[in-house]
Amino acid sequence: MSELSENECFYMDKAFFYAKEALTNQEVPVGCVFIYSNQIIALGRNTVNETRNATRHAEINCIDQVENYCNDNNLNTLVVFSEISVYVTVEPCIMCAAALFSLKIKKIVYGCRNDRFGGQTVFDVASILNPVTELKGGYRGEEAMELLKEFYRGSNPNAPAGKAKVKKN
Amino acid sequence: MDEAKRIKLDKEHSKTENNTLYPVLPDDLIIDTPLTDVYVDTIVDPKKISKIIKEINSVLPLPQLAHLKRMKSKEIILYPVSLEQYQIINLLKEKTIDTSAFQNNIRIIQVAKIPPMTRKQFEKVNKLWPCNFHPNNYLEKLSTNTLFSHDELRSHSRYMKVAVDVAKFAKDNYYSEEQIGAVVVDPKRKSVVAVGYRQTNKGVLKHAPMIAIDNVAKTQNGGVWNPLLNQDTKIELNLDGIPKDLLEYLQIQHNDIVFGAQRYKEKDELIEPADGPYLCTGYYIYLTIEPCVMCAMGLVHSRLKRVFFGAKSSNGALETLCKLHTVKELNHHFEVFGGLIKHV
Repeated sequence: MSELSENECFYMDKAFFYAKEALTNQEVPVGCVFIYSNQIIALGRNTVNETRNATRHAEINCIDQVENYCNDNNLNTLVVFSEISVYVTVEPCIMCAAALFSLKIKKIVYGCRNDRFGGQTVFDVASILNPVTELKGGYRGEEAMELLKEFYRGSNPNAPAGKAKVKKN
Repeated sequence: MDEAKRIKLDKEHSKTENNTLYPVLPDDLIIDTPLTDVYVDTIVDPKKISKIIKEINSVLPLPQLAHLKRMKSKEIILYPVSLEQYQIINLLKEKTIDTSAFQNNIRIIQVAKIPPMTRKQFEKVNKLWPCNFHPNNYLEKLSTNTLFSHDELRSHSRYMKVAVDVAKFAKDNYYSEEQIGAVVVDPKRKSVVAVGYRQTNKGVLKHAPMIAIDNVAKTQNGGVWNPLLNQDTKIELNLDGIPKDLLEYLQIQHNDIVFGAQRYKEKDELIEPADGPYLCTGYYIYLTIEPCVMCAMGLVHSRLKRVFFGAKSSNGALETLCKLHTVKELNHHFEVFGGLIKHV
């Protein structure tokens, strides 16, 4: 695992900032930023509970933002996507990995593995989509995992009460 | 034409119209039961069989092969082929089993490694060696594609026609270049909750299933993309999941179908915990075409109960490239049926 550059550390910092913001808002704590020509052009976090839409992961929210950015700046969306690097606190899930691979994103750098839905760990999306995207993880992984654990220790405020796990002491 | 004849024709029609529907099953239901090698020998004196079984089962039980009978006529399973043959003989002696009861003609045969799950699998492995089988009625119907009654097939077919009309409407009105539609149905209330059509000209993520999921969210005071509200507080069902112009068109085309979602209740309004809609829990989705990996996983996240699709797709993730719904590690699993009206 190669070290991250100073800039990349800064991007990861930002991603963690949004992951923590998610936790404060009772959302699954995953945050990310999208970098295009050394600028952050999209940033965000999971908003599943707020939107009642289980597909509104941090990466999906950022993809929508990139499209707005391209429209506002009169840029070709597909060209921009192919030059984007993504910094995200948790390994993208199967859905997000498939979306990012299909958009030919240049690089994805993530924190911890995603044991529940990971697009590499649980089901290897790359093996069927043959992406050009470079995917590497393990950066501040323990910290990212700790945030997830903190979230799952509490119960999901939006899940039906009957299914919410009872805390065991 | 008299009524009885009409009904009969109608039934035949529905049969031929729907017989293309098929379940997309996990591999372990389709493939033959995996086999394993075991040592067997023959018992010399048939009168001693019951005594020998009792003895060997108590001192040398085979818990991993509990689905198998120990005997087949005069043959007896001694042990799995995880040991050498001489080790087996030593083991039997060690366990003070009377080896003189055997013909000392130890050989290796193949038997079912795990319990068979379907009758078809059972019949195959039971010929090799007698096997216990506890049929699961539901799995049996699912795996033999006899789960649905004629009426249910007709209902699935009708909702798929709505999905086809959603796709046509989008194309005809220049909302979309491709004809791909999705319809989410609440099978308990028998109503169309939300619809979606592919609109990738408006956004790279705007595949029909992703839009339909977002439109379901709109019926629950959520949603992200182009919020549009039909909300009419006087009616019992919530219509926020269907664009207004499309709703009017569909109501004309399908005057026998109910449109609208169960009214959303905030947490403090719920009487029973499972009372209110939560994401797409319990819902069915009808897709004119097999979804891609992104959409298939979006459907898993959204906790749909069943997914029906029409045509296969070269980048489909529920049958063609993979069967995402059969990945055991995922925390939610829906059933998938393909082939429902192939032409779109």
